[in-house]
Parts: sequence; structure tokens; C-alpha cells
Amino acid sequence: MDFNFDEFLAWVGEDIDTLMMLIWILPVIIFVFYGQRIQLLISSNEIKKDIGKLEEYTISTKKEFLNYVKNNLTSKTDPSKKLDSFFDYFTIMPVDMDPNGIITKINHLIRSREDFIRLQINGMFSDLSSVELSKLQNLLEIVTTLQLFYKHTRHLYLTAKKQKNFPLILPLQMMIPFIMEEAVALKDAMPAIKNGQPIGDGIGPMIVGQMMLGTTKESAAFETVWSKTTFEDRELFLLKAEGPNATVGRPGDGLEKIISIKKPDLVIMIDASLKLEGEDSASIAKGFGAAIGGIGTERFKIEEIATKNKIPILALVVKQSIHEAITLMTEEIADSAKTVKDELYQMIRENTTSGQSVLVIGVGNTIGVSQ
Amino acid sequence: MRKSDNKITTCYTSMECNSCKTIKKRKFTDGDIVFSTSENCSDCDGKMMITKIFGVTMD
Repeated sequence: MDFNFDEFLAWVGEDIDTLMMLIWILPVIIFVFYGQRIQLLISSNEIKKDIGKLEEYTISTKKEFLNYVKNNLTSKTDPSKKLDSFFDYFTIMPVDMDPNGIITKINHLIRSREDFIRLQINGMFSDLSSVELSKLQNLLEIVTTLQLFYKHTRHLYLTAKKQKNFPLILPLQMMIPFIMEEAVALKDAMPAIKNGQPIGDGIGPMIVGQMMLGTTKESAAFETVWSKTTFEDRELFLLKAEGPNATVGRPGDGLEKIISIKKPDLVIMIDASLKLEGEDSASIAKGFGAAIGGIGTERFKIEEIATKNKIPILALVVKQSIHEAITLMTEEIADSAKTVKDELYQMIRENTTSGQSVLVIGVGNTIGVSQ
Repeated sequence: MRKSDNKITTCYTSMECNSCKTIKKRKFTDGDIVFSTSENCSDCDGKMMITKIFGVTMD
């Protein structure tokens, strides 16, 4: 049958409604049957780009880490192979069906992992200082976390694609901006850690470190120091991680030690805190409770000791973004130290009386900050 | 100095003289640690203490 274009146009002219109906119904049919697939295609393209970036970050940080080791440390054998095996190390969290006593288990697990890595790295290099060792642990942690992000994101993406499962890609689509924010921060943290420069999270130890100047420092726990000073007829106990190591120390154990010497009437914790969207960087906030991040074991210990001894805990935090917290300290954050110190002294005056004692804990990674 | 997404961050070290309280700022050098005293003051020959190390980011 020959198609006559003139006849077709004549028919259209007579029945334009039929044609319009066809034009409208076609996309509806396509979207009914293929809508989810189209959405999956659009979303997965965006996610694919981010996964590509995650892969790039993992490879570049790994290379940077291995180059740093080769150029700055002396080893009898090539450390690349052994270090490469560390990147894939995983931690199996304890069973939480019966949560009773889980904190002790997590604490044991985390410390065992840290001790193992420390021992392994120490054995690989000759004349490794404690600062260098802590820097290597931090760098290793960055690479391992980035690798974990990359592998898990890729797994979810590929599973959703393989099973053509659109609902599976939705949580990934929601989470990917947060994952990317953290990944960029981790990647940018490498230079500061390598050079031993203070990071935003170090504001707490920086303030307490300054207060410790000229006092006799003693070990309170592993990689944690304490000292004593006075302020307006009050006894001040100061506690922070031992700088300039790239460590957060063990403030929980430190508090236990100080309590065994003398029970303070008040505990004040100074830490960096993640700012909410819209909040200003380096703004200061005061509050109640233990200001300490991490997996939760240190906070649990501090809360438990304080509860048992009926000691109130106050918090003083410097707000910052995740990027600011783990990369080179900004001038704004460094300059907030003076205001925080003034607020701290005001807090001590308002909450204690003369003759009482206060424990001030500077929480955070003290890289590049001594005392 | 490092580049990240077209942003350049330069690290600076700020020091204060223990005697004459002069404040000086220079680029970070390896081995700089906050609260360490390594240099002498050019004005009074007192000891300069590092008071802060920070980064300045420019687009």
C-alpha cells in the first residue's frame, strides 16, 4: 500500500483531536512501563560520576601515602606491599543482639586494632619517632576510609544496576552528597597530616596546651598528658593528648587517673563541633554533657565516671565544617582560641567557688600542637 | 602551598616575642610546632614562640 502524504494531511486536518491524543498517550505509555528505568538511568549517571571521583581520591591518596613513606622513612625492605595489605583491613563490630557490655567489647576491639597497626608500622621502619608513627597511623586511616567509601558505594551502585532495582539506588542518591563531602575533606587532610600542621579539630588541645605552658606535665594515660595550675583561688587540672603527635589520646583513662588523685568539682570539655548549615565557622557554643566525638567509647567512659562521682560536665565547642575540622586549621578558628579561653574562665567563675577544683579537657587531634 | 579545586591554601606560622611581644608572621617551615620556641626576636633578641599555625585559602 502506498503512503499518500497529502491524504494523511487531509485526514489530520479533519481529525486533529485523534492525533493530539496519540501524541499525549505515547509518553504516558512509555513512562508507565519504562519510567523507573529512565529515572534509574538519570540517577545512576550522577552516582557513577561521584564513584569515579571516589576511585580517583583513593588512588591519589594511596600514591601520596606510599610516596611519603618512601621519601621520608628508612626501611630495610620495600614497605609498599605490606602497607598495601593494611588498606584492606576490616573490623568486625561485636554482636549487638545483647547490648549489655558492648562498649567494653568495642573498646577492646578498637584498641587491639590500633595496637596491632602501631606494632606493625613500628617494626617496618628504623628510628621511627612517636610523632612520625602517629602521622603514619592517621594517613593510613585516611586511605583505608576512602577505600571503604569507594568499595561500598560501588557495591550498592552495581547491585542496583545489576538487579535493575530502582529503590536500592534511592538511599545511595540521598547519602552520596554526605559521603562526597567527607571524602573531599579526607583527601584534603593528607597534606596537613604529612607536614605535621594543626587541624581544625586541634582547637581544644591548642587552648589547653597554652594553659599548660610553664607547668609540669605528667603522663595521664597512653599519649595523654596532664598538669596542674591555679586560677582565681581555684585548682585547675588540665588534660590533653600529648602533642605534637597526631593523636587524640585517651581522655577517658586520663580522667580516671586524675579522679584517683583528686576529685574535681567540675569538668569542662573544649572540643571542635560540627556546625549546622547556616551557622558561622569558628562560632562558639556552650552546653552540658561530654563534648567528645569518635566511636563513643571515650564519651561513655567519661560519662560513667562523672555520673558515679556526681561531677557536672560542661562543654565549650568551636563550630566548624567537617572539611575545616580535619584539614589545616583556618585563621578564623585559630583566632577563636582567645575568646574560648575568656569564655572558659567565665564558666569557671560562674560555676565554682573559691577553693574548688576544675578539670579542663582539651579534646581533639593535637597534631602540630605541643604543650 | 597546595591546590584543591582551583583553591590555593598557604600555611603560615605566627610568632610572638616572649619579651617585647612583637608579632611576626611567615610561611610555615618543616618542624614548626605551636608553642615551641625556635627563633630569636630580631628586635630585642628575646625568644619567639609560635602562637598559631594556620592556612589561608585563596581562589
